[in-house]
Amino acid sequence: MSISLLLCIVLILFLIIAQTVIPYLVKRTVVFGITIPEQYIRHHKLNQFKKQYSIFTLAITLVALAVYLIWGLSNNVSEEQIVVVGTFLEFGIIFISLTFYFYFHGKIKQLKRTNKWTENLKQVQVTDLSIRSQDEMLPWYGYILPMMITIGLIIYTIMNYDLLPDNIPTHWGPSGEPDAFTQKTPFTAVQMPVFLLLIQTMFLGIHIGTKKSGIKLSVTNAAASKRRQLGMRKYSSWLLFLAVLAMTILFTFFQLTTIHPNLFEGTPMSFILPFGILAIILLATVLFAITVGRSDKTTDPVIEGDVTDIDDDRYWKGGLCYFNKNDPSIFVEKRFGVGYTLNFANPLGYLIVFLPLLIILFVTLLLN
Amino acid sequence: MMIRIEPDSDIAIYTQLTNQIIEGIAKGDIKPGDSLPSVRAFAADLGVNMHTVNKSYHELEKKGIIRIVPKSGAIINIQNGYDNELYTRLREGMKPQIAEAIVFGMSEKDIQNLVKSVVDEFKKSID
Repeated sequence: MSISLLLCIVLILFLIIAQTVIPYLVKRTVVFGITIPEQYIRHHKLNQFKKQYSIFTLAITLVALAVYLIWGLSNNVSEEQIVVVGTFLEFGIIFISLTFYFYFHGKIKQLKRTNKWTENLKQVQVTDLSIRSQDEMLPWYGYILPMMITIGLIIYTIMNYDLLPDNIPTHWGPSGEPDAFTQKTPFTAVQMPVFLLLIQTMFLGIHIGTKKSGIKLSVTNAAASKRRQLGMRKYSSWLLFLAVLAMTILFTFFQLTTIHPNLFEGTPMSFILPFGILAIILLATVLFAITVGRSDKTTDPVIEGDVTDIDDDRYWKGGLCYFNKNDPSIFVEKRFGVGYTLNFANPLGYLIVFLPLLIILFVTLLLN
Repeated sequence: MMIRIEPDSDIAIYTQLTNQIIEGIAKGDIKPGDSLPSVRAFAADLGVNMHTVNKSYHELEKKGIIRIVPKSGAIINIQNGYDNELYTRLREGMKPQIAEAIVFGMSEKDIQNLVKSVVDEFKKSID
């Protein structure tokens, strides 16, 4: 089996498992993007739908994976074909799970309406005045270190401009060897570290945006929601920082080997580094999803009176996209998945996430 | 201290916030010198418009309960006694409530007990 196929299989398997277990890791009072009052969360239909979703998604995507594996193992398939088809399969898996998601989203919406689950409950929103002092996100200035490394790398590249080859690598294949190049100019020489700096800025922006966003507590289970919200902030800031460090190491390694081709010659670094980093990031993501996903399922709710959390379904388009002009939050907790999503009504979010990506895309397409 | 708002209530959200903060101080849950969350953080945590929190903070500032210090945020004032102005304002504020009590036949004693029970409720939290 080729490395490309193995890598694709691992990533696809990872995606399949993630899509299958999502309903069990989301916030406890949200089922397929619909807010369900704590009082009715144990309704048998809801459990049944979750189970059906997981079984359907797992079965269909595993069959697709098996077909892909058999095809990939046949002799007349090129590495490139494996990667391209593998990428399409990943999108296909997301499409399949989203289709099931929307099916059950509709079902539950109907179930909630016919049973009038929110009508006799008073909707309230709570917060703790001291919640901000319990926030344990990493400090933003942790990002200064990787950014300094990048700036140092840019300066180092400019100083060693003459050493750079005439064709500068811009893409590396699965074996760690460059497979796409661009002509050497003062700009293309520093292009990679400049992109890295942009990505670091974006991640710093996401970090600060998350810090400024709301910590949403639940009235029917304040302790569990607090644990989940604070845990998600803390661990997502760790994960984000780990990703920045990993990218910095990888980009620095590639830039240094471009300037000094013999620097790591004879060592398996160009192989170990990318795969090691990929493995660490995947593992960290799994740990994050499980830790946060289970954090609000362990304590039983304390329901005092006929109250429930505010039904904010109307702000969630399709149960997936949050659009609330009143909420100053830039990021909010995802409804289908573990982590954050944008408040699409807040233009700051677009600035943080899309602007750096647009710049990178624009530069890549027009200046190379 | 927990803050709890009801968006569907007849009472405006900013008034709900103002009242709960004042009650929090009366109960001793919030102490003079404590600072309140920033307008942005408070609004984000409640999922309400920043103007709503801002309006509440300005109301509290006007009453002399908090002071808004640039960069440090909203800080609970230390109170040293009340003046005639406050006395008159509270008296005017209570008038309609007491009138309603009289209309429904409550005696002076009943009304005094009512006031006492409210005071006791706040005091109990301090002890």
